[in-house]
Amino acid sequence: MESFIDYIENTLQGERDDATLYHFKRQLLDKMTERANEITHSGLHDEKVLSDLIISEYPDLPGAYQKYRVAAKRERREKLVNKIMIFGTLALAFLLLVIYLTVSFLTDAWDKTWLIFAVGFLGWAIFLLSVGVHRISRLRRLFHPIARVLQALAVMCGASAIFLLVLVLADWTKAWVLFPAGVIGIYLADAIFAYKTGQKLRIINYLVYILAASPMVYVFVCGLGLLPWDPGWLIIPLAVLVDVVLIVIKMVQNSKYKYRPEVDAAWNEN
Amino acid sequence: MERKLNAELWDKMHYLFRDFNDRMVHVELHYDFEIDVEALKTVLICFFEKAPVLHSSFKDNHVSPYWIVKPYRIDDVLTVSHPDDLDEAINTFLTQYIPPDSDLQMKVALFLKDGKSTLCIVENHMCMDGGDFKYFLKAFCKNYNDYVEKGISPIDLREGTRSYEAVYHDFSPTEQRMARNLYKNVCAKDDHKFPLTPDSIRDRSFIARRKIDADKFAKIKAAGKKHGATINDMLVAAYFYSLYELAGYPESDSVTISCAIDLRRHIKDVSDEGLTNHTAFMQCNIPERGQDIFQTLQYVVHSVNKFKHDKFMGLYGLPLLKLGYNILPHAASEEIIKIGYSNPLLAMSNIGILEVDKLSLDGHEPVDGFMTGAVKYKPYVLLSATTMRKVITLSMCVRGNEEDEKTVERFFDLMEKSLDLLIAE
Repeated sequence: MESFIDYIENTLQGERDDATLYHFKRQLLDKMTERANEITHSGLHDEKVLSDLIISEYPDLPGAYQKYRVAAKRERREKLVNKIMIFGTLALAFLLLVIYLTVSFLTDAWDKTWLIFAVGFLGWAIFLLSVGVHRISRLRRLFHPIARVLQALAVMCGASAIFLLVLVLADWTKAWVLFPAGVIGIYLADAIFAYKTGQKLRIINYLVYILAASPMVYVFVCGLGLLPWDPGWLIIPLAVLVDVVLIVIKMVQNSKYKYRPEVDAAWNEN
Repeated sequence: MERKLNAELWDKMHYLFRDFNDRMVHVELHYDFEIDVEALKTVLICFFEKAPVLHSSFKDNHVSPYWIVKPYRIDDVLTVSHPDDLDEAINTFLTQYIPPDSDLQMKVALFLKDGKSTLCIVENHMCMDGGDFKYFLKAFCKNYNDYVEKGISPIDLREGTRSYEAVYHDFSPTEQRMARNLYKNVCAKDDHKFPLTPDSIRDRSFIARRKIDADKFAKIKAAGKKHGATINDMLVAAYFYSLYELAGYPESDSVTISCAIDLRRHIKDVSDEGLTNHTAFMQCNIPERGQDIFQTLQYVVHSVNKFKHDKFMGLYGLPLLKLGYNILPHAASEEIIKIGYSNPLLAMSNIGILEVDKLSLDGHEPVDGFMTGAVKYKPYVLLSATTMRKVITLSMCVRGNEEDEKTVERFFDLMEKSLDLLIAE
């Protein structure tokens, strides 16, 4: 309909004329025409009313166009990332092979150069998992547990990579402490995820994680020799104490939101 | 592609009420001229497009229910006829039931007779409550007039969120947190029943009406003022007093009537809200009948005032309902909520004034009309009240038999008698 075209052209006059704008206008016109057919089928035959009605469904075209631009840009970026993920894996494998062979032949340190492959692929896995976490965390909350699992895997991959590097290159006998440190990292990362995505009842996550992480902290700190094993174990009861303090603070905070009106009694009377 | 709409908390709650009532809201308006059918159709189509829930089918998905927007034809929405027996036609139309899974959630009838029109509308309470239905009617009349008189397209209907959460938006952050923490099961716990016959498959829906004339309305208002009571308080007091006599409750019994309250009182500006439900109930309780109706009135005023002084009036129980629907799949949450919920046996809804100037069509104000709530299934009853031209229409929609109809008529007689007592002094 001519009125739709006029409305679209007039409202988007100031926008930069490019392919994105054309696609937006075309999609919009198609949608409006489809709606017009639908409503005409319902029994509306007054052309002016039909036109006004449909136009009223698009009150802020410049705003809608800005959102469309942002979405289109994001879509292009996601497509690029997808390409990187597909072709990057092959390219990375080839690149790592070249580096591995070059470094190995040059240094003759075959017992250590295999790390290039291991750490390279672990780093690549962290990148892929991070993309997954980023994308899934934008979906409905229902899918967030998947993002949290992927994030935990990414942290563990990171810990494993550092473990291998430290163990092989530095020959550090206490490198095993990096695994409990990885578990602590998982809890920490998940707590940050819960906070950043505004998960409800995340305080429960924090309380559980503090308790669950405390034995790992104990093993990590004492394993490194920063504290003796005894009384290092006090870290665990200390975590319980921290939980209790957190609960008390939360209860005190929440008590100011407790509403005890006169009507409360009225409900009970009834 | 299929268009889906979110099933809001109140949609789900009203769906849960299927065991207690037919969820239809009814309105009847009489005009002394013939309404332009084509203009009526145009306005209706525009409104249906602005509020797509009106042409949607409710999908009772076990995990998460939703509405599916459906195509329709205006002739399926609007029935135009020239009946010989107008009353019969009105009653037949108004007592119909629209299943939630049907493609339309509102039906309109225009009965033309002797140069006069009767406009009847039936809609599913899951889509909107009496408060928004009143707005819908006023917007409908305004748009009709603007279209017929000035050629302005009838597209001026509120659009926006249908979420129950709108009731919190105008609170301060602290108040919001307080209100969102009001986890309370606010169900009626009173076993006093309206004396209707036992259920029977022969029962049919009927709408009983009684008019309280303008002269008496003025007297009720004046008497109420004298006793520090509103018209609503006077009606509730008369409701209580009549019930004791009708049902033969012992005078010492404490009785509770659930009164509908409009939660829009918590929303400063509803202009960006969609058509939806924002109704809760407050429990008006009296400890005994009282020595006379004036004492009953004092009990009512006392009970109602307790609620009026509460800044979170009507918001109790919402967080609990939300939690109930959020933590479990819909099918399971319905079962859980059913365990904790008890539907009030006695209820009242004062829908308020139907302003004739705002309901005028093409310069003709409605000469008569009323709005009423759902047809309740025995033993539940709901007394509705609307006021037009200072005439109060009391109505009760019941699925019952002739004996029940007589009981309701006797109840209305007693209501009138009680109101007479209140205004006698």
